[in-house]
Amino acid sequence: MAVGEALALLPQIEALVSDKLQVVSYKWLSRNFSLTSNYAKRLLQEFVDKHGSELEVIYTLSGWLKNSPQNYHIKLASGLKLAEVKQEYIDNCSVQVYSVQACIPKDPALLWNAEFVQAEELFNQPLTAENCLRDNRYCGVSNSFVKRTVDGKSAGATPHPMNLMGATTHSKTNTVSKISLVQPLEQGQVGQSAKLGVKPSTLETSSDKSNNPAPENFDRTDKSDFVKEATSAAQANKKKGQSEKTSSASSGSLANLWGRASTKLKPSTPAIDTDKAVPKAASTAEAQICAREAADASGSDDDDGHQINYKRESNGGSNRKRKFIMDLSDDDGDEENVVNLASPDPPTKPVLDCTHHVDHLVSGKNNLGLEKIKKDTSETWQDNGSERDSSSTRGVFLQKISENPVSEGLVVKVQKDAVGSASTSPQRRKVIKTRVDERGREVTEVVWEESEVDTKNSEKKNTAGDHGNRPPMVNKAPASSNSALSNAANKAGSKKTAKGGGKDNKQGNILSFFKKV
Amino acid sequence: MLELRLVQGSLLKKVLEAIKELVTDANFDCSATGFSLQAMDSSHVALVALLLRSEGFEHYRCDRNLSMGMNLNNVSKMLKCAGNDDIITLKADDGSDTITFMFESPNQDKIADFEMKLMDIDSEHLGIPEAEYHAIVKMPSTEFARICKDLSSIGDTVVISVTKEGVKFSTRGDIGTANIVCRQNTTVDKPEEATIIEMQEPVSLTFALRYMNSFTKATPLSSTVTISLSSELPVVVEYKIADMGYIRYYLAPKIEDDEDMKPE
Repeated sequence: MAVGEALALLPQIEALVSDKLQVVSYKWLSRNFSLTSNYAKRLLQEFVDKHGSELEVIYTLSGWLKNSPQNYHIKLASGLKLAEVKQEYIDNCSVQVYSVQACIPKDPALLWNAEFVQAEELFNQPLTAENCLRDNRYCGVSNSFVKRTVDGKSAGATPHPMNLMGATTHSKTNTVSKISLVQPLEQGQVGQSAKLGVKPSTLETSSDKSNNPAPENFDRTDKSDFVKEATSAAQANKKKGQSEKTSSASSGSLANLWGRASTKLKPSTPAIDTDKAVPKAASTAEAQICAREAADASGSDDDDGHQINYKRESNGGSNRKRKFIMDLSDDDGDEENVVNLASPDPPTKPVLDCTHHVDHLVSGKNNLGLEKIKKDTSETWQDNGSERDSSSTRGVFLQKISENPVSEGLVVKVQKDAVGSASTSPQRRKVIKTRVDERGREVTEVVWEESEVDTKNSEKKNTAGDHGNRPPMVNKAPASSNSALSNAANKAGSKKTAKGGGKDNKQGNILSFFKKV
Repeated sequence: MLELRLVQGSLLKKVLEAIKELVTDANFDCSATGFSLQAMDSSHVALVALLLRSEGFEHYRCDRNLSMGMNLNNVSKMLKCAGNDDIITLKADDGSDTITFMFESPNQDKIADFEMKLMDIDSEHLGIPEAEYHAIVKMPSTEFARICKDLSSIGDTVVISVTKEGVKFSTRGDIGTANIVCRQNTTVDKPEEATIIEMQEPVSLTFALRYMNSFTKATPLSSTVTISLSSELPVVVEYKIADMGYIRYYLAPKIEDDEDMKPE
């Protein structure tokens, strides 16, 4: 990841912290934006340098305590108490930014909440899904217990989530009892502290160019010694940082980051292939679009929630191009604020592991656009008798223009499909459904609703396909737009049977007990 | 000629509230002995039987047996026009197709007449045999209402099982399970707060909570409720109406199959 690109994350972090009041820890950052954890820490340091005065910072101090020199300790300390806590350590301890937040939460658990939710989501993904927790690719800790899969392909080899958890929770506990992790950890810290030096310099050069310069009254005293020392070697380090970044990107497997390549890898491709197969049969001008949209009202983990799989299918037939800008509808107000105040550049946000990521993009307005497209297609949409057909028409497969990841527009190539008369096409419309998911978040989804019964079938099929073909999305709201529907249907069905009341087979009849007079 | 004068008018209001959720139309039968009603709900799963004995009325005159079909919602509407302290008098002439409700305020300075059309209702009267019940539970009616309400938020059916330990209400739903056990408790200050269990043999039956909740609409009529259970028989949920009679609900049990929840 280029420095410039990384810098673009800063406004996003600012938006998260100041608008959504989220605790942004380096772990969360690392997983969410697919950065190495070390890089995430540096990024946070940079952020603190820039905006430190406007928010609260929690630092991680690690080193050997004066009063118990045999144990390696890691402590969290707020910016105010940093100096004080530092006194407890022997000589020079490592000081890193653990998290930034709008205010120090009363309950320490809040510090951990966002990343826990995130980790939970990652772990809840099917085993086949590659994600950065399973393959441990961004972990800064290395020892014999932690297996890191640099190449995304080998993720299937079930890494050791337990160990990983151990490692991540490690830094959370205020006082870490000694375990075998200690040595490697220390090494890691040392490495990090060297790299940390990069930040100030890169920051200073970049902050000039930065669009929304923040008041630069960051507090140097907060910075640890090594940071200052390292500034001198900024140039060298910078280079190092860059190369490290690119390497980290490649280690994450480019295919994972950009939707396009990975025909072999990507779980989502099979779905596309089937799409393609169908249209091939009949090739008139029918657009086939599959869209998945996520809308997640909650602030804390919504970046995951906002994931959207999109895929562009370049098919020979008719390449109708449409500009498609997505924006999360239910976050409208929010997003606008974000755009205005913090001006994050949504498309620049890197993807989280192998799913393709459309951030904060689906807006009501654009939903309309989508609907329009949809209408086009539905007019000519033909019920081929193939349920797959219907299932694939369910959404729009989009693909981010990977050549130009920063561009705000997305091009949808409308896939032409076998066409028939409009008369046979089922009525469908777009419906916004709001439900509360298992975590209590309100999830608003835009789903296609069809009057026909076959909706259910296709829906089901679709869901099944989704589960099988695109594991990373299973937990995501967009994917569940379908599954939710079918779930709802199932639920309704089961309720009906359960609640049948008088018609219930199991319910006895009073007339079988009392005879008419 | 029919003329019934009930000093405690609110009682009639409560009776209607207790029935109208279960039954929409019903015949009120008047005889020399009293004023009664028997009706099944539309799905023929539950039956309600009301008896208000003639002794409970201040004035009771019924020249010959009379069956008056009424829409209970309409009766309820009429009775809502009566104050809680009003004296209610029901009047009907022989051969008339109307009934008159007369409401007198306690100090007699306001008298209101409401005439309501009667309707013809085909109803089958069921013979309810006297039966020995395996278990009879008497408990505070509010307690029972609370249990039914709570359980219905979790499941659709309730398993009522009586053992020598007590009576257990349990349910199971999508979100989980619930068990409420009430033990025999006679050491209370007020007799109406006692829970008394008379058991010949253990019994366990499953019922639809929907109906149970309808039954508990009679809670204002009585501070205690009596639940009589026998395997192979409908449960009887009885609310006594002081000095006058009772309102009894009969509910056919659900036939349990293997996977149905049975208390362990």
